[in-house]
Amino acid sequence: MENPVPDHVPPEMVRDFSLFTSPGMSPTPNGDPHAAVACVHSGPPIFYSPLNTRDGRGTWVITRASDQRRVLQDTETFSSHRSIFASALGENWPMIPLELDPPAHGAFRSLLNPLFSPKRVAALEPAVRERAIRLIDGIAASGTSCDVMKDFAFPFTVNIFLHLLGLPDDRIDTFVGWGRDLLHGDDVKRPAAARTIVSFIDELAAARRNDLLDDFMTFVVQAQVEGRRLTKQEVRGVGVLVFVAGLDTVAAAIGFDLAYLARNLKDQELLRSEPGRIVAAAEELLRAYPTVQLIRVATKDIDFEGAPIRKGDYVSCATMIANRDPAEFECPNTVDLAREDNRHATFGYGPHRCLGSHLARREIVVGLEEWLARIPAFRIKNGTAPITSGGHVFGIENLILDWS
Amino acid sequence: MRIIVQNAKCQGHARCAAHAPHIFKLDDAGYILPGNIEVAEGEELTASRGARSCPERALKLDREPCSTS
Repeated sequence: MENPVPDHVPPEMVRDFSLFTSPGMSPTPNGDPHAAVACVHSGPPIFYSPLNTRDGRGTWVITRASDQRRVLQDTETFSSHRSIFASALGENWPMIPLELDPPAHGAFRSLLNPLFSPKRVAALEPAVRERAIRLIDGIAASGTSCDVMKDFAFPFTVNIFLHLLGLPDDRIDTFVGWGRDLLHGDDVKRPAAARTIVSFIDELAAARRNDLLDDFMTFVVQAQVEGRRLTKQEVRGVGVLVFVAGLDTVAAAIGFDLAYLARNLKDQELLRSEPGRIVAAAEELLRAYPTVQLIRVATKDIDFEGAPIRKGDYVSCATMIANRDPAEFECPNTVDLAREDNRHATFGYGPHRCLGSHLARREIVVGLEEWLARIPAFRIKNGTAPITSGGHVFGIENLILDWS
Repeated sequence: MRIIVQNAKCQGHARCAAHAPHIFKLDDAGYILPGNIEVAEGEELTASRGARSCPERALKLDREPCSTS
């Protein structure tokens, strides 16, 4: 046994469940990994999963949304500092601000918040919409079928984000490939991709130090926290986080959303004929199909809802589990596009709330609006099957739609 | 009606402002401005929807008439 259950974990609290190895988590044609994890709600509110991280570690699993709030809001007891990216390289530096705890977190977060605020995102919207329209018009003009992931979701979301970073879009495929290897690759591809991304960010930062431009990395290398410039390692920490965070998650969300609408023609037609419903619908699709598992490390011993959490234990708050909590959402496994009071956990709780949440939301809404306005009734192409997967970041590899 | 704003709990989700930007005002970083909010007559429904939309539970409804002191 490579991953023995720690001695302090009572055997009756161990369950055979994992976001990596449970049924429906490996790449599955026509899979529904979000529904697959919802089964934990028939069990206890907290249990121990012996193999629940990419590197094979055990975690406590918090299933109730209210308990996840408690964990994610209590940064003194549950630290976010775990060098998840650097550890793939055998190094120890934090992605910033995600892997800093308060109070150090605050200064960096304040620095970056205005770049991703609702106001800033509203100013970006025309460019976002133009990009969506250009891509979808191209798709509509070239036939009655496409692979949404390859032809729309990735080029759309990654392009917006590369513009934000001031990076050229002729390298989209390269960047998406790095992201895929990093988030979904094996033990060889993952560290190789991590190393490539670090070198890329380091070189980009060095280039901007020599030659200031009007872009994100220039901002970061010039920025000050607490009256001083950021260190090279801090610049790297910020650059890597923002780069990695923007590569995959929004594209996956758009893929899951359009897959849902392709399979539910009544809902699809409702949104097409009444586009005013798309904002609320996008919120419900965010609830139903979130992509990330948040992990914290206990900084001290604490008994939590009957579980003896000990210092150093990993605690998993999977957004896809919180979002299916029947105590918080009526009929959580039903997608109700008009759902009210939809306080989902998709962007996390607490001070590490997804920095890019406002941009992500806007991209999803604009993407759905323009897609539905330009593509007639679509379904999943006969003989094809979207391949979905669980893991640290849930994903959808392909989505071949047909509107012939 | 009054909305009690717990600024320490606000994490900038901005869901309240998405429901009612004229009631829930944000700073440049996207976090709610300090101070409780007196809700104008006729705005109660919108305001309570906005307050209920907070994922962090940073906004509380106070339905007591605020004229009594």
